[in-house]
Amino acid sequence: MNGLKLEVLSQQEIREICDGALAILEDVGVEIFEQQAMEILVRDGAILEEGRIRLPAKLVRDSLDQVPPQFSLHARNPNNDVVVGGGSPLIEPMIGRINVIDLDTGEKRRTSIDDVAGLIKLADALSNYHVLHSGAVMPRIEGVPEGMAHVHGYIESVSNSSKVIKGSGRGRQVAEDCITMASILMDKRIEDLAQNPPLFTTINVISPLRHDRAQTEGLMTYARHGIPVEITSEPQMGATSPVTFAGTLIQQTAEVLSGIVLAQRVNPGTPVIFGTCAAAMDLRNGLIALGGVEGALINVAHAQIAQHFGVPSRGTGSNTDSKVLDVQAGYEKAITLMMTVAAGNDIIFYPGTIEHALTIDYRSLLIDNEICGMALRAARGIDVNEQTKAVELIKETALKGNYLGKKHTVMNMNKELFFVELTDRDTREDWMDKGGRALDEIAAERVKEILRTHKPDPLPEGVHQELISFQREVEQRQRSAAESE
Amino acid sequence: MNKDEFIAELFDGMQELDEERIMKAVEGAVGSGVSFEEAVNDGLARGIRKIGDRFETGELFLPHLVMAGDLMDAAVEKLSGILSHEGETVSSSGTVIIGTVKDDIHEIGKNIVALMLRVSGFKVIDVGVDVPISGFISAAESNNAQIIGTSALLTTTQFEQRRLVEQLESQGMRDKYKILVGGGQVTESWREKIGADGYGKDANAAVRVAIDLVKE
Repeated sequence: MNGLKLEVLSQQEIREICDGALAILEDVGVEIFEQQAMEILVRDGAILEEGRIRLPAKLVRDSLDQVPPQFSLHARNPNNDVVVGGGSPLIEPMIGRINVIDLDTGEKRRTSIDDVAGLIKLADALSNYHVLHSGAVMPRIEGVPEGMAHVHGYIESVSNSSKVIKGSGRGRQVAEDCITMASILMDKRIEDLAQNPPLFTTINVISPLRHDRAQTEGLMTYARHGIPVEITSEPQMGATSPVTFAGTLIQQTAEVLSGIVLAQRVNPGTPVIFGTCAAAMDLRNGLIALGGVEGALINVAHAQIAQHFGVPSRGTGSNTDSKVLDVQAGYEKAITLMMTVAAGNDIIFYPGTIEHALTIDYRSLLIDNEICGMALRAARGIDVNEQTKAVELIKETALKGNYLGKKHTVMNMNKELFFVELTDRDTREDWMDKGGRALDEIAAERVKEILRTHKPDPLPEGVHQELISFQREVEQRQRSAAESE
Repeated sequence: MNKDEFIAELFDGMQELDEERIMKAVEGAVGSGVSFEEAVNDGLARGIRKIGDRFETGELFLPHLVMAGDLMDAAVEKLSGILSHEGETVSSSGTVIIGTVKDDIHEIGKNIVALMLRVSGFKVIDVGVDVPISGFISAAESNNAQIIGTSALLTTTQFEQRRLVEQLESQGMRDKYKILVGGGQVTESWREKIGADGYGKDANAAVRVAIDLVKE
């Protein structure tokens, strides 16, 4: 069986894009606002010139040779372990955004720690979500003291899901804290985490061709511990990258490669993910067009380029710029998700979001799980064998009846068909009898029911207490730092 | 080309975003009897404001606006080598210092706001990205600015906007400048909380706020 495979570049075109990226890295290089990173790269053959780090093609290629083509992420419930780069797309809904749509009022407000708990719990219950973005990555959570969001966010997240939870890479100390908390969660020493990493992080390159200080520190911290880092470029076509697809791909590839080189120079063999959240800029209003078809197309080419390098890839899907769950949200989400899944990106980020991915909507998180189910079913493709061809069955059935009561139907239906849970396929009469409601209304009710009834795997005995002790340590550290200022 | 024709040529060249046409016209500036001020204010600046209007109505896009800004810079520079002028002869709505705060290197939003301010007649000093508070203040001092605009995309770097207000207060300079804040997660309530003077939810709003602030 061949799964769905969407391609947009020929092999020759992929090579041209990669050559372009290598030329950019060698001739122009990147700016890195972190001294130690520059020193490490220069030590290993990079050239520092006019404040930019130029990376010779050989250094890039040698670094790529050290990247594992796949790796596992380990959840606290082993049933939730995942393989990144193993051929099955993993869906990562977005959780930790500064804004959320209130489930009762439908109004946008700041995300609180209770929202982090609720959103994570909901994502824990939904089967098409495999790894979870978290409260740990939020720079601020409403009601949580400044500088403590990553700690509260992580603890609340792991308390409400036994799936793999993402850590933050914004700054060295924040990264160290997340890694420490993961070690407490898994009851392992930090130096043993690399064998079975229970977390990963994302760092974003700032287009064009810049790495900021905080995220570079985060990248180096995770890499030092051998914990996977997703390195993601987020150019906006026409503004922070060329308006052409090929030009954007070249720049984006150069940006991600520069991060990969740094990770490998810090610690050869560190698992990395080749990431994108590229989109066009809407050249009328200067805002990102995250739900646009341009980003979707970039995702397809991006997957091909990552596969060419033998590095797992991350794309975006279920994106929308709409503020409500309307027709626009539907078509933008479906198009962006389907294309990135069909392209074979290994991790797909953004389900659950609306409004340029600035806002999370509980209902969207639920509905996107269903869209993801459909897309993942499509990605699995069509199985052709004696059993599925069913030639004998057709011969004996076709002229004298139908297939509804056949054993073949019952035996194969779950594997072949995708059974929807939310999507409405009732007659109008039945739909009216059930209240005649739109999907977003039904989704709100279903979300509340899941939040009321779903029981995530409880944390192992004593772990919560240990995490809270760690929280106290960080609070103490913050107080001491504030006093010494 | 007489003076009126010369000014019309600059204005029309700007509407067409035709660099060659504008530069060719500029070469004949001396013979037309136009002054530096007239060429800039009546030709180029009027042209760029019209471009701004066409952007507002959706006829033109951001890249046109950026091109127009660059074209104006190039033309003014060339004119200044040809026609005599003294100091600040270009009329402006006011001077704005604009930059992205320390530890934040996002610049596209800040650049768009800077551009829209220029199109609207402000003199804009762009101090770049990752700018410490002292950088904003010293630029404001040396340029006699009326407004300091700070951009922060990251919620972690937004606090720098508050520190600028505090710093100006502690130096006894708070009343000298109007402070404009913007950025991805910046809101009106954040502006109020930190005691800044204006907040622009987008580039157009920032310009409207800036115009109101200099009138005060």
